[in-house]
Amino acid sequence: MATVKTLIYLVIYPGLLFLFLYSTFVEWYDRKLYARLQNRMGPTHTGRFGLLQPIADFFKLMAKEDIVPERADKKMFSALPAFGLAIVFTAMLLLPLWNYSLDKPSVTSFSGDLIVVLYLLSLPTFIFFLAGWSSTNLFSTIGAARVLTMLFGYEVPLFLAVLSPAVLANSWRLAEIAAFYRQRPALALVNLLGFVIALICVQAKLERTPFDIPHAETEIVGGTFTEYSGKKLAIFRLMMDAEMVVAAGLLATVFLGGFPGGPLFGLLNFIVKTLFVIFFLSLIRATTSRIRVDQVVSFAWKYLAPLAIVQLLIVILVKGLLS
Amino acid sequence: MNDQMVIDKAKASLGEKALDITNPAPRRIFIKLKVEDLLTAVGWLKTEMGFTHLATISGVDLGQTFELLYHFANNYTCVNLRTEIPRDQPRLPSICSLIPGAILYERELQDMFGIIVENIPDGRTLLLPDGWPEGNYPLRKDWKYERPPEVIPGGKK
Amino acid sequence: MKFQIPIGPQHPALKEPISLRMTVEGEVIRDADIRLGYNHRGLEKLAEQKTWIQNIYLTERICGICSHSHTTCYVQGVEKLMELEPPKRGLYIRTLVAELERIHSHLLWLGVAGHEAGFDSFFMYTWRDREIVMDILEIITGNRVHYGINTIGGVRRDLDEQQVKRILDSLDILRQRSEYYKHLGTNEPSFVARLAGVGYLSREDAIALCAVGPTLRASGVAMDVRKDDPYAVYDEVPFEVCTADTCDVLGRTVVRIKELFQCYNIIEFLLKNLPAGPVAVRAPRRAKPNEVVSRYEAPRGENIHYIKSNGTDKPERLKVRAPTLGNYAATIQMLKNGFIADVPLIFAAIDPCICCAERAVSLVDARTGQEKIISLNSLKSLSLKLSAGNKRKREAEWPL
Repeated sequence: MATVKTLIYLVIYPGLLFLFLYSTFVEWYDRKLYARLQNRMGPTHTGRFGLLQPIADFFKLMAKEDIVPERADKKMFSALPAFGLAIVFTAMLLLPLWNYSLDKPSVTSFSGDLIVVLYLLSLPTFIFFLAGWSSTNLFSTIGAARVLTMLFGYEVPLFLAVLSPAVLANSWRLAEIAAFYRQRPALALVNLLGFVIALICVQAKLERTPFDIPHAETEIVGGTFTEYSGKKLAIFRLMMDAEMVVAAGLLATVFLGGFPGGPLFGLLNFIVKTLFVIFFLSLIRATTSRIRVDQVVSFAWKYLAPLAIVQLLIVILVKGLLS
Repeated sequence: MNDQMVIDKAKASLGEKALDITNPAPRRIFIKLKVEDLLTAVGWLKTEMGFTHLATISGVDLGQTFELLYHFANNYTCVNLRTEIPRDQPRLPSICSLIPGAILYERELQDMFGIIVENIPDGRTLLLPDGWPEGNYPLRKDWKYERPPEVIPGGKK
Repeated sequence: MKFQIPIGPQHPALKEPISLRMTVEGEVIRDADIRLGYNHRGLEKLAEQKTWIQNIYLTERICGICSHSHTTCYVQGVEKLMELEPPKRGLYIRTLVAELERIHSHLLWLGVAGHEAGFDSFFMYTWRDREIVMDILEIITGNRVHYGINTIGGVRRDLDEQQVKRILDSLDILRQRSEYYKHLGTNEPSFVARLAGVGYLSREDAIALCAVGPTLRASGVAMDVRKDDPYAVYDEVPFEVCTADTCDVLGRTVVRIKELFQCYNIIEFLLKNLPAGPVAVRAPRRAKPNEVVSRYEAPRGENIHYIKSNGTDKPERLKVRAPTLGNYAATIQMLKNGFIADVPLIFAAIDPCICCAERAVSLVDARTGQEKIISLNSLKSLSLKLSAGNKRKREAEWPL
């Protein structure tokens, strides 16, 4: 029974199949919302309301010719998309969806899994960097340099913002943090500032406008992905969608009280809460213009990092008052 | 500043150098010069008259000679300096030292008419492709375009 | 570490082929070079073989956005050569189309600027409203892009009361929308952060490098052919020359938005004072030997045609200087010491319209910095040589 349950957990829900389908749905949701905000229609043709468009795109790319540049580091160039996808899917398994019990830590929910998820979400950035670097294309190289430059900007504020609710909840385990805020919803309001900071940092991590600098098409063509095509590009795209789901799930767990209610209600909770987070991500994308890479770093260190520290101080203060 | 004032000043300052001054339409003044006096005239226009904007340089193939027109403009009127250079000795002084913005027009003249612009700061070809054969200057009247036969690889012979 | 990056001849930021070669240090541009000629159509040579009437349609095809600018510039020169006086109503309609074209060009530019800065929502919004102008132009002339309304001696179509009313109604919507863009373009923090201080061109440089149009006016030089050298009916129409003194891309945006409002006023004036009468007079087929310099303020800047006739029905020489060529020298100056990220914005800020040369491919070898230009035929044979021994790839299959 335990084996079957683990298999279901890995392959169906919330593992491969669910994450694949949900990622494509999220891409549709993001595209549709973005299009409506811009006075366009967005996908309409494939499936009802164009719901199947991202899946169609994925399979179309899978069928396209796959080109590896002559001068690229071929092994690394080909292996990176698979590694990236595996990392993001692993991070998904650690979100407290249903396979956990609060009292008994297991392999998918243990003390410190918050740090592991954050770490796993940092790795895709390095994957992008390596992808750009191993392409040896001029534009990819510039894109790769920009990926790393941006990482120095947003990573510290993101960690500070996500860790401060954990400090208040006095736990490094996602399931416990979520349970803590479910019991005392008023305390979640303390983390409002942190939520905003984390949203902005996640936007930067996902490389979406205004932080789509590493693959700004009008400046450096495709940036890190200039040389990628066919299957590899399809996998990279899927990886970015999945990363969006996981990052939104992480924010929902830490700031919005997680996903209680067993498999069925938990799923409903998950969908509603992640879509809520992604709504804000799309809104930011539609209402801003791309800024320069030096502006990202100065913005992150001038505003985001100090505010994240203020958030941490508030949390410590509140914690002192409570005890 | 109106046309008559410009003409009077041109007569006073350029004197003999201005071979012919006409004013065929309002705000259009044509001053004919020898090519040796071109730089002096441009300098006079720029510093004393405030004609800082060079609109363009037009070249015309007149058969034995090339006619060149420097179209200057300011907020009141438009002055066109006209000069002629012989076809077998197509040499022209560069005015880039006075008007840096003339560089593209002078490069265009070099490409299209085969005029040698002396002291040009950057004399590379501007418009024609790099493999363009020597001695072909498209805007000369005797140049005719012949479309090279296109060979489609693997196509019908 | 210094290296060269090629922007163009094919690049997503460029709508037409041009090659910009940047020498960069990290993200900072140290030197820039421009290579033209990818789109040269030999138009000046061709014009010498066509009749006066045929050349109207030829000049219309110099540019897709400012097609009316080039024909008007050409036609009013030819009218001087033929000693024609077009009727007042014809001139009013010509000016009306010119101003509508300016609106459509400036709205298009705003959208492109938004797109280059990664602000796609702005792009979508401005282009949606540009449709209104395109519709008006279609109602007046029958076409959306190449209007074909000019003819020697006047215009080819007349306006009626209903069209006038329709245009006036649409103007109200456009005014309202432009107010919004003015607010958005100068207040959205991330957008302003991208525009302000970028592509600095001082007043002295702008004058020395002979910049034209909004680029020049954004550097604080009030120069506008419509005011300085009035053609058509601009000496009767009240309007202001819009300038800005920030000398950067933000200034160029502001100048263009301000000009939009001037355009609305001009159109309103033209429609309310439209004189009655014919729209065109008959033109002779030949022109006496003469020459004329015709200037016109296109949306992008000063447009100048030099036309020389020789007594036949064909011109002896037609020299065209489109506004973009006048701005290239200034662009190189603006690009120096900027960031790579700002290249598309700076380049787009002159509203480039590239209409110049022939088939040639420029290849830059990233390792050696050697550059060679290869003709299309030798490129074809090179590719055949390289791929001759290769096995043919399996046909693509549906992966499922």
